[in-house]
Parts: sequence; structure tokens; C-alpha cells
Amino acid sequence: MTPDRRGPAATPGLDGEVTEALLRLGRHLRRGETSADLRTIIEVGGREADAFYRDRWSHDKVVRSTHGVNCTGSCSWKVYVKDDIITWEAQQTDYPSVGPDRPEYEPRGCPRGAAFSWYTYSPTRVRYPYVRGVLLQMFRTAKREAGGDPVEAWSLVADNPKRRAAYVSARGKGGFVRASWREAIEIAAAAHVHTIRRWGPDRIAGFSPIPAMSMVSHAVGARFISLIGGVMLSFYDWFADLPVASPQVFGDQTDVPESADWWDAGYLIMWGANLPVTRTPDAHWMAEARYRGQKVIAVSPDYADNVKFADEWLHAQPGTDGALAMAMGHVILNEFFVQRETPYFTGYVKRYTDLPFLIKLDERDGYFVPRKFLTAADLGSESEGAAFKTVLLDAATDEPFVPNGSLGFRFGQQGEGRWNLDLEGRDPLLTLAGGGAEAVPVRLVRFDTPDGTGRVLRRGVPARQVAGHLVTTVFDLLLANYGVRREGLPGDWPSGYDDPNHPYTPAWQEAITSVPAAAAARIAREFADNAARTRGRSMIVMGAGTNHWFHSDLIYRSFLALLTLTGCQGVNGGGWAHYVGQEKVRPLTGWTQLAFGLDWSRPPRQMVSTPFFYLATDQWRYDALDPGILAAPGEAERLDASSTADLIARSARMGWMPSYPTFDRNPIELVEEAEARDEDPIAYTVGALRDGKLRFACEDPDAPENWPRVLTVWRSNLLGSSGKGNEYFLRHLIGGDSAIRDEEVPADRRPREVTWREPAPIGKLDLLLSLDFRMTSTTLFSDVILPAATWYEKHDLSSTDMHPFVHAFSPAIPPPWQTRTDFDWFQLLARAFSDMARVHLGKRRDLVAGALMHDSPDELSVPGGAARDWKRGQCEPIPGVTMPRLTVVERDYETVAERMTALGPLLDRLGATTKGTTFDLTAAVTQLKMKNGVIRGGAGDGRPSLLEDVHACEAILALSGTTNGSLAVQGFRDLERRTGMRLADLAEEREGDHITFADTQARPMPVLTSPEWSGSESGGRRYSPFVINVERLKPWHTLTGRQHHYLDHDWMAAFGEQMPVFRPPLNMSLLFGEPQLGSVTELGVTLRYLTPHSKWSIHSEYQDNLLMLTLSRGGPTIWISPADAAKAGIADNDWIEAVNRNGVVVARAIVSHRMPQGTAYMYHVQERVVDVPVAETSRKRGGIHNSLTRLAIKPTHLIGGYAQLSFAFNYLGPTGNQRDEVTIIRRRSQEVTY
Amino acid sequence: MKTFLWVIVPYVSIVIFVGGHVWRYRYDKFGWTTRSSQLYESRLLRLGSPLFHYGILFALVGHVIGILVPQRATEAAGIGDPIYHVLAISLGGVSGFMTLSGLAILVYRRRTVGPVFSATTVNDKVMYVLLAGAIVLGLLATVFGNALAGGYDYRESVSPWFRSIFYLHPRADLMAHAPLVFQAHAISAWVLYAAWPFTRLVHLFSAPIGYLYRPYIIYRSRPQGLGARPIPRGWERADIRPRRQG
Repeated sequence: MTPDRRGPAATPGLDGEVTEALLRLGRHLRRGETSADLRTIIEVGGREADAFYRDRWSHDKVVRSTHGVNCTGSCSWKVYVKDDIITWEAQQTDYPSVGPDRPEYEPRGCPRGAAFSWYTYSPTRVRYPYVRGVLLQMFRTAKREAGGDPVEAWSLVADNPKRRAAYVSARGKGGFVRASWREAIEIAAAAHVHTIRRWGPDRIAGFSPIPAMSMVSHAVGARFISLIGGVMLSFYDWFADLPVASPQVFGDQTDVPESADWWDAGYLIMWGANLPVTRTPDAHWMAEARYRGQKVIAVSPDYADNVKFADEWLHAQPGTDGALAMAMGHVILNEFFVQRETPYFTGYVKRYTDLPFLIKLDERDGYFVPRKFLTAADLGSESEGAAFKTVLLDAATDEPFVPNGSLGFRFGQQGEGRWNLDLEGRDPLLTLAGGGAEAVPVRLVRFDTPDGTGRVLRRGVPARQVAGHLVTTVFDLLLANYGVRREGLPGDWPSGYDDPNHPYTPAWQEAITSVPAAAAARIAREFADNAARTRGRSMIVMGAGTNHWFHSDLIYRSFLALLTLTGCQGVNGGGWAHYVGQEKVRPLTGWTQLAFGLDWSRPPRQMVSTPFFYLATDQWRYDALDPGILAAPGEAERLDASSTADLIARSARMGWMPSYPTFDRNPIELVEEAEARDEDPIAYTVGALRDGKLRFACEDPDAPENWPRVLTVWRSNLLGSSGKGNEYFLRHLIGGDSAIRDEEVPADRRPREVTWREPAPIGKLDLLLSLDFRMTSTTLFSDVILPAATWYEKHDLSSTDMHPFVHAFSPAIPPPWQTRTDFDWFQLLARAFSDMARVHLGKRRDLVAGALMHDSPDELSVPGGAARDWKRGQCEPIPGVTMPRLTVVERDYETVAERMTALGPLLDRLGATTKGTTFDLTAAVTQLKMKNGVIRGGAGDGRPSLLEDVHACEAILALSGTTNGSLAVQGFRDLERRTGMRLADLAEEREGDHITFADTQARPMPVLTSPEWSGSESGGRRYSPFVINVERLKPWHTLTGRQHHYLDHDWMAAFGEQMPVFRPPLNMSLLFGEPQLGSVTELGVTLRYLTPHSKWSIHSEYQDNLLMLTLSRGGPTIWISPADAAKAGIADNDWIEAVNRNGVVVARAIVSHRMPQGTAYMYHVQERVVDVPVAETSRKRGGIHNSLTRLAIKPTHLIGGYAQLSFAFNYLGPTGNQRDEVTIIRRRSQEVTY
Repeated sequence: MKTFLWVIVPYVSIVIFVGGHVWRYRYDKFGWTTRSSQLYESRLLRLGSPLFHYGILFALVGHVIGILVPQRATEAAGIGDPIYHVLAISLGGVSGFMTLSGLAILVYRRRTVGPVFSATTVNDKVMYVLLAGAIVLGLLATVFGNALAGGYDYRESVSPWFRSIFYLHPRADLMAHAPLVFQAHAISAWVLYAAWPFTRLVHLFSAPIGYLYRPYIIYRSRPQGLGARPIPRGWERADIRPRRQG
């Protein structure tokens, strides 16, 4: 029965007698016809005012484009143009369908996106090239002195201490003057040429993040930097967005489900991800899926916007998410594996995880310690890669056997056709319990101590002798680690869920997280129960809130364990959904070739940014953190390092992580020295290193010859956004004013292997060049600014991890004023560079030292992940095995511009290899020749043209399997040979499809299934990662070929992190002398200082947008709870100062009940260009969010050269985390000056 | 001087008043507004605005009777001098007091309520001075010139002078001998009229009187034409659709 919505019968007539009388009178006073009920009047005409709004909304054309900001939305927009002026934008609605019976992509396109056109003509638009006046004058003078030679002129400026100091110290203090584009480019090119000549090409660096947000604009600059031998700096690890746990567990970096797959989940946990705020255009799926019966949980310390969508809210204290996840793991292991068996889970973990694999136990001090995986080599096999073939026990025969699919099968001849997950009918034992196993006590580690240091945890596992080794399974170790008690095993076990003292029970976590034990247990049970019933459709959306911590890799590993134990990975609607940035370049192979110039020379120089900036900005000089404190009990001595800088140097010389600048000498001169002695440059270098005549630059980062000299920043706001330790950047790298309040570490705590120089260098960079369309916190400190085109003024491509489509940027107007596209600027720079190089550089030979690479045979260089340092006599220095791989690369500097604009010949010869799959590109190159045309003359004679941005777009699309069906099929065939599994059919349905740039301009184009990624779009399926692994038995790219819970590298053992454990946030008061959290003094209240991602400011839009500022408080703000505000006498909207050892921030307080006590939020990237007053503390302009942060490098992130723990660019590297920080907040004088 | 003040000033003011409104209507149609501040503050406004507006409407009626209607006419209607004076002083005083207190509330509100003050332009401030000046001087004229000082019969001098302006036969000498306070009130009024078209006071001509007797909903159908534009030659409507029956 439907309720009667009409209510009481409406009586005719209006408001009363008088009114009606007036209206009846009105009939005679007005033209037009009044209706009988006196409610309406009908007139003819009188619509002259229509012309006004018709004119307002009339336009000349509509152009499709999108926003190249680090937003995972990638919404397609209609850009309206009227009289050659961009007037407004509106949402496109022609996205590909996600399939019947599910919600579509639309509505998408948020108010922040709709506010973008403001930038085109905004007051902060950079319209002309700018050079700081003092530099420009000096350069002009020097050029006259040098007889008109710009390179010599640059030398006269940059190498003259007095002149150098004059312009370096002026950085950040205004003084820009307009320069002609010729002169600005001349200065930049001269600096590049001179730096290569004097210091070496690896002293030149480029920083430009998130290629997916505008691939061609990224690629063109990276191509220039790479072709001249410069260093491209990573961004993903630097942002701390990179989950180190992803390579650790999956052997792959951030392959995640598209947002439409949330709809497929039966149970969804939003864990540190605020979907409606940071994933606005996609959040609707989460809301809609609830109507389908999905249960939604939010885990967040504050009452965040997403919490109100959730069925339940678990308010874990900041940084304690790992404890909650460990307790949930405890419940799942106990109830779904030990108390009763869950066939789906058991079947899954046996086939797709490392849980049944055997681990050797070594005896030490009366305990057994878990060590390495038992391998075929331990069984006496001498087959190819035997030390990388892990071993299972056959349940039927009780004999060990070597299954297919481990790393040992991946690269050699013998492994062909056997790198797969086919167990060939055998059933591996998951646990050794029963069947004659002995119970042995194992030494595990717990870190849930007040100071965060490790304590021994003694728990027993069932173990057996196999081939002379005492072994147990990963599963048995995991049960012990999680504290899941089984009968007959010795050790300290929890008495039950309500035991608060023994990790990792629900009651134990309650004391840490404040989440009720019963709730934690219940949610864990529901999560697993749903997974068991739906065969893996439980999902965790995880975000930056849990990912920017020092120990985030552990937090993530404990999350991922929940998913792998319950069989959720590789299942639509299940698994991890980690969204932190628009990181996925779907047409990966094409972009890689272009961006790193792999079509002309290999290898490119690619650097992990965190150690780079840690050393370059001298943050290491202030970092008193002793890595030994982080180690497992008894391991600090074995580690034998007194500082993080020592470990960085060690990681570099062992070839684990890349290191640029590499040596304390110009790598070009190094080759020349060797050639002068008629020696092989590589042998000569190894000899010089061994003899100590040559050192790594990272062993003496403050020596002038080891400084980075030229840094180019484009599509990026390095100093306003990701520059953790902003004040250290400003002092040591930039040379401007800074507000560092910390002291350098005392002599007894300094690095032992890294040289300390006094005084610390100020302003290491000779040139900071930036390209941008708006004035930012970075351009303010740059020497030269080139005005860039906006996203409505260029051709480019966009793709994301959250949507399986690729679409175009198109220019609505040509770049106005003197702006140009990044593409044009770098072409100009390359041309000017080549002209100067003709005189000053010519052809050179450059020695490139590269780290041991992921997805390559380098993974097999050190069995068992032994940490052996040749410098300390533990092994011989062998390039590519125990030290970096050394390669001599020809650099023809005169032809850089010609190489930039032509697709080089190496592609035809070597093809392109992505994640171990090699693509034959000959057909695609031939196609490109016809599509783009061919270059005539010069170095690129006869090669496909890359002269225009559209050509580059076509090249990216033609050279990738995701956009070129025949390549995808061919790549899968390559993979079929290796795996022996059927794969090519996944792409064959679209083999003839080739997405062209015109297609992407017409509408967003769905991409193809390709071996570049682990998921499948075949048959219109929603993208979910690892479904190829699960359904086609293709191994993960790990040691065992399965998803890992256990990591056996030496350093993982040294730090007690072989398995997921809980480690609390760093104790800043103990480690760095900050006040205790929550303490109140006359200086203010001490709070946890978090910098979460905000609603706009970078992730969708920038903070300086006037339209958006008008809707907010219009300047920098810090959120605090009413309780904390009361402690420090702060009222809402008061000016406050936040101070710690790293610097000072001035902002207004937002006092809100939404905030938990003890925590302050300063949202990410609030620009220093808007309303930043002078600080009382420093008497300098109050800083930005990163003024209070400083890098702390987790040693285990420096591991490399072993199985999945091998370096690849933006795949593995130390994170630039910043969440563990604290700050003192106080009310300041309300009178502010600027 | 006499001619300037009582002949030139009025005519110039009238020309500006009329011409200014025409100009403003043609060139600033979308600026033709009261720039209402009700959104920022409504409590004081609810008190001050009706007080002021009804007060000034009463005053307008008073002025019509006192200045435009000749003394002969009122006498012919049987309203003698004493009655006229009692009415003029009492009603004039009440309306003047309403207007002035309403204005005081509005000015107080405009100065003390932050958002309202922020929305106040220089133009507004000048307008307030002129408006307040004219009202205060008018009230002074009523009180001092009429009640206290034994009475001055402006209907002998000011009124005929005012009417004479419209007969295009200005009699400046009538005004030259009027008391200062009347002169000042008259001049302040002419200056106000000259400023009128350029201020928010234009809303006088947009008073929503029609709402009293108009239905809420108006449907405006298109006239014969193409949208809102005139039909260019050759673009006449083909009339292939059946027209809706009215």
C-alpha cells in the first residue's frame, strides 16, 4: 500500500479575500490573460532579457581536455571558448560504459575541476620568462667578458664564489625581471653544458612527478634529461605514496582495482582513505554499492567526511592501524584456519601465497631463529637458479618437492615453460603440525614497547628435519607471530581474545588503538566470513592516512595479510585498493621508451629521491637517529652502522639502490682517465674503487664536486608540496632564508663512513629552473622560470589507476602571452644545448652506474639476500653482482636536439622490455613512420618524427600493449613461452584495435588487456589486479612466485620484520628531544602533526585558486580539537604558531569536534603565496606544511638486489615519510604582519 | 546668486535627474538595484526599513499637499489654516520622526554589522549624507520654522516658487526671503535629486507595487520571432509546426 502523499484536500482560492480582490482588480490593470484560479498570467513577449543569458552562454567552440593535476579523477571536460577566451568548462558525459546492471562513471567532474579555467587568466599566471635581476645582469656582463660565449659566461658567474653567492642568496626574495625567451633558454642551456663539462652529467637532475597526469609533458623533459645523461628523480617513493609493502608482498608496484570494481565488493573497509574528499568523482560507487547490500567500514582517527557513509566507524589512533590489522589477522587465523578449516582459504593460500613454503630455522642462544627459505640448492640441486627455487612438502608423500613458478624458473633456459603456479596435482602441506614434527621455540620480536624498541617474543612452531635442515612452514611461523595458540607448542601465548598483554589479540590492540576489542574481532570475522561466502569479494580501500608513516610498509603488510589469507587478491570485488596519487600510466611501455630515451641509449640514470634529497639538503647532518635502535634485539651490532647516511652509502655501493651523483669525479673524465691509460673504463673504475682512489659521491655529499648543480622542476611544486624538510631545502640546497631550529648532530653520533665537512654548504644548486603556468612556492625560489601552457593549451594524454581508459588533452586556445607547452620549451632547450655542445662538448663517453634491477636476472645476484659489503671486505666488488652495474654510454651531445625529435633505432634492435616481457616493436615503428612522418637528415634520418606533441602522443599509444592490440597479443605470446600457460586469448579479442590520438580526443577510450599489467579487461570485465595470476596461474614477480608473508633478506631479519609486526609511530621525544605528546607548557601544547590530503590543493586543484579560497577561510589553517585548543587558550580562527625543531608555521586555527584529541591536521600544500604572515618565532615569513617535517629513512627500504626487493624506478625506494612528526602549537599575537 | 540658487540649480538638477535615469536605464540595466543587504543582516533591517520607507512615503504625501497643492485648493476643500497647521505639524512630525529613526537604525546597522559595512561603497556613503541632510533639514524646517518660531507660512513663498519652476516661469525672489532653514532644505533636496540616478535610490522607480495585484506565476510566450531576437530578413518563421492553441 502506498501512503497518501496528498495530505488534506487543498481548498481552491488563494490567501484571502483582500488578496483575491486585488488580483481580480489586476486583471484589468495588466495585459495578458489571468487564469481562472488567479494563480498564473500568460503574456506574449517581454522576453528581451533572454538575449542577455543567451549571449552569456553562447560560445564559439567546445574542446575536450582534462586536468593534469595529481587527481585520480581524470575526468574529461568540455572547455568552452568564446572570442579566443576560455570562458568555462563543463563535464563530459561520454565515458565508456562499465557494463549493464551497474552504475556508470557519470556523474563525474567536481567543482574544483570546474574552477580550473580561472588559472588561464589568473593574477598568478606566469606570462613571460623570468630571471632574477641580479643573475640576469651578471650573466649579461659575463657574456661580454667571455666574448659572447654563453657557456663561458655561465662559468664566470657560477664558478666565481662572489658572484655565485650574490644570486644564490637572493633566491626567494623576489627580484624577478622579464627576460626574452631566447635569453632565458640561453642561460639554462649554458648551465647544462657547463655542468656536464665541469662536474659531470649526473650532477644534473630533473624532477617531474606523476607522468600519467600528462604523459607527453613529462616524457619530453625526462627525455632531454636522460639523453644528456642527467638524473631523473623518482616521485612515488619520495611522496611516501609508494607502498614498499607492494613489491615486498606482490613483487609488483601498485596494481589496484578500478573504482567501478568497488561495486563488486561485498564488504568494503575504507582504511585511511577519505573517498568523498579525495576521490570525489568515484565515491558514488561506494555509496551505491551499499544499496546492493555491501557493508562499509571506515577506519579513521577523526570523524572524517567518509565516516558518515559507513555502517561502522573504527577510530584507530593515528599510526596504530597496524595494531588493529594484526589483531584482525589474529582472529582470522584463529577462527578460519585453526579452529576450523575454510576450504576456499586453504586452497587459495596453498596455491597463491608463500604460506606452505619451508623456512630454515637456525639455532642461536638457545632459541631458533627463522632464516632463509629452503631452496633446491639446499636439497643438493645444482640446476640453473637452484638457490632461488623454493621448496614445499608434499602432503601425500611427505617428501620435499620444488614446485614451478619460483624465481629460479624465471630467467634461465631451463625454466622456459615452467614459470607458472601449476602444482601439477600435488598438494603441499600448509603446516607441519602432527606427523612427527617436533615443537621448537622460536625467537620472534615484538615492538609494542613505550619506546618502540624490540623485545624478544618466544613462541613455538612445529619443525622437521628436511635434507639436514630444521625447517618449518611460513604458515606455522605466521601463526606463532600472530600469537594464535595451538596445543603442544611452547612459548608465551595469549590466553584468549581478552588477553591485553600478549600480541596480537583484540584486547591487546584496544589499549593501543582505542578501538573496542569486540568490534575489532567482529569486523575481522565479518570480513573473512564475507570472503569465504563470496570467494574473495572483501576489499580494503587504503590511503595516505595509513601510508605516510615511517613503518607504513608494516602497516600495509598487515592489511595485505588480511586479504591474502582470505583469498581476496586477484578476485573482482576483492583485494587491496591503494589509491595514493594518479600513478598508473596505462600505456606504460610507450611512455617509458620516450621518457627515458631508451630508443637512443640505455641505461638511463634514475634516482631514488629520498636519499638524494636527504643528502643534497643536508638533512643527514641533523639526523641523530641510530639505525641500531630500530633493529631486533641483538642485531644492532651485526648491522654495524651508526647512522642512516652510512646505510645509504652501503646500499649504494652494494648496488641495491641507485646513487647519483655517483662518484666523486666526473664520470666522463673517469672514462677519459681509463682510456688515457689504455685501460677498460669499467675495470679501471672497479680498481680505483677497491684501492680507495675513487669514492662514491654519497660518501662525501658535501664536497663541492659531489653537489647536484642543476635542477629542473616541471609539472611540479617540489618546494611547496613534497619537499619534506622544507627549511633544510631552503638553507642547504637553495641558499635562501630558512628557519631551522635544530642543531647538527654532535661528533660522537656522526656517520662513520660518510665524510663530515665544516661548515655545511649553503645553496648547493647552481641553477634551479622551473616551468610552470602559475607562481608557486617553487617558482619563487627558482633562478629562471619558463612560462608553461595550461592543461587547456596543449596536446597530451591522461590515464589513471581508477579507470581503465585513456583520453586526451587538447588545446582550447594556443598558449597565450609568451607561454609555451613543456614540449616546446624542452625542444628549445635541447636545440640551444646542442648548439653550445658543438663547441664545448662534442662526443663523449659516460660511465653509468646503475642499481641491480627488478624484473631482470639481477634479482638472482645474491642468494638468500645476504648483505655483503665489498668495501668492508665481505666479498669482491663485481659490477652487476655485488656492486652497481657499470655501463659505458656514448653521448653525442651535438645531436641531442635531433634525437629528441626522432624515435631512435634501438627500439627496432632491442624492442622494449616491461616487467620482464619483451615487445617486438618493428611493426609499430613502421606504422609510426607512416603516421607521424619521417625525419630527413641529421641523427634521426629516416626515423619516425617526434617533432610535435601529437607525434609523441601517437608514439606512446602505438608502442604500448594497452593501446595497441597486436603488441598486447605478441607480449602475451612471449609470456606464454615462459609460463607454459595460455594467455594470448586475453588480448586476441581486440588484437586489431589500435587506439590513436584522434580516438582519445573523440572520447575516453577503454584500454586493452596487456601483459604490462596483472589484471584483465577482456570481455568488458572490470579491472582488478592479479586476476591473470590467479586465473591463468602466472606467478607473481617474487622469490617464490607467490604472494609473500615472509621476507628472508638479511636486513629484514636484522630489523625483526620478516613477517608483519606492529611497530608504533617513532617516539619523537625519545629520538629527537621533542616534548612528550600531549604535554602542555608555556610554549604551547604538543600534538601529533599530520598533513593529510585535502579536498583540493593539488589532488584535483591547487590551493591558491581564488574561487576555492573564497569558499574556505582563504589562507593557511591548522585543525585541532576543542580539548587541545582549550589547553593552549586557542579560539577558533585565532592565529597560531606551530613550532618544532625543523621550523615554524603560522596559520589560523580551526577548532573542530571532528578532530581527535592529541592530533593536529595541517592539510597538504597550502601555498606560501597566499596569506602567510611573518612568524614570531623566526621573524621570517612563516613556513608551509613541510616546514615542520624532516626526512627519516627506514633502513629496510634501502634493500635491493634480491628477488622482488630489487630497485626499479618508482617501484621500490625509501619513502619520504612524514607522519610520525609532532609539533608544539600556541596562540600567537593576533596582530600579524607580512 | 539668487538666480543661480533658485533657478539654475533646480533646472540643472531636474535635467540630471531625468537624463540620469534614462542613461542609467539604458546603460546599466543590470546595475539597477537596491543592492539589498538583507542577506547579511535582517533583524535590524526588519525594524529600520519599514520605519524609514513608510515614514518617507508619508513625508512625500505631506510634500505633495504642502507644496504642490495651492493653498487655495486646500481652503476650497474646507481645510482652514489652523487645521492645516495642526495636521502638517503632527503628521509631518510623526513621519519625520519615523523617517529619521528608521534612517538612524539603518545607518547604525550599516556601520556596526561587519558584512553590511563591507558591502557599503563610497557611493552609498555619499548618498547617505545627502539623504540624511535633506531629511534633517526638512524636519528642522518643520519644527523650528513652523512650530517654534511662531510659524512661517511656506505656502506663501516656497510652494509657489516650487510650482513656478514647473510653469517654466521661475520666481526666484519668492525663495530669496524664505528663512535659511527652508533654503537649506530646498538646496539639499536639489543636490540629492542630482545624485539620485547614480545611486541605489533608483529603486524608487522599481518599487514592487505590481506584486500586489499580479499572480505569482507569469508565462511569457515568444512573440512571432526567433527566440528573443528580431527576425532578420529571410529568416522568417516557416510555421511548419502547428501553433499551440491559446
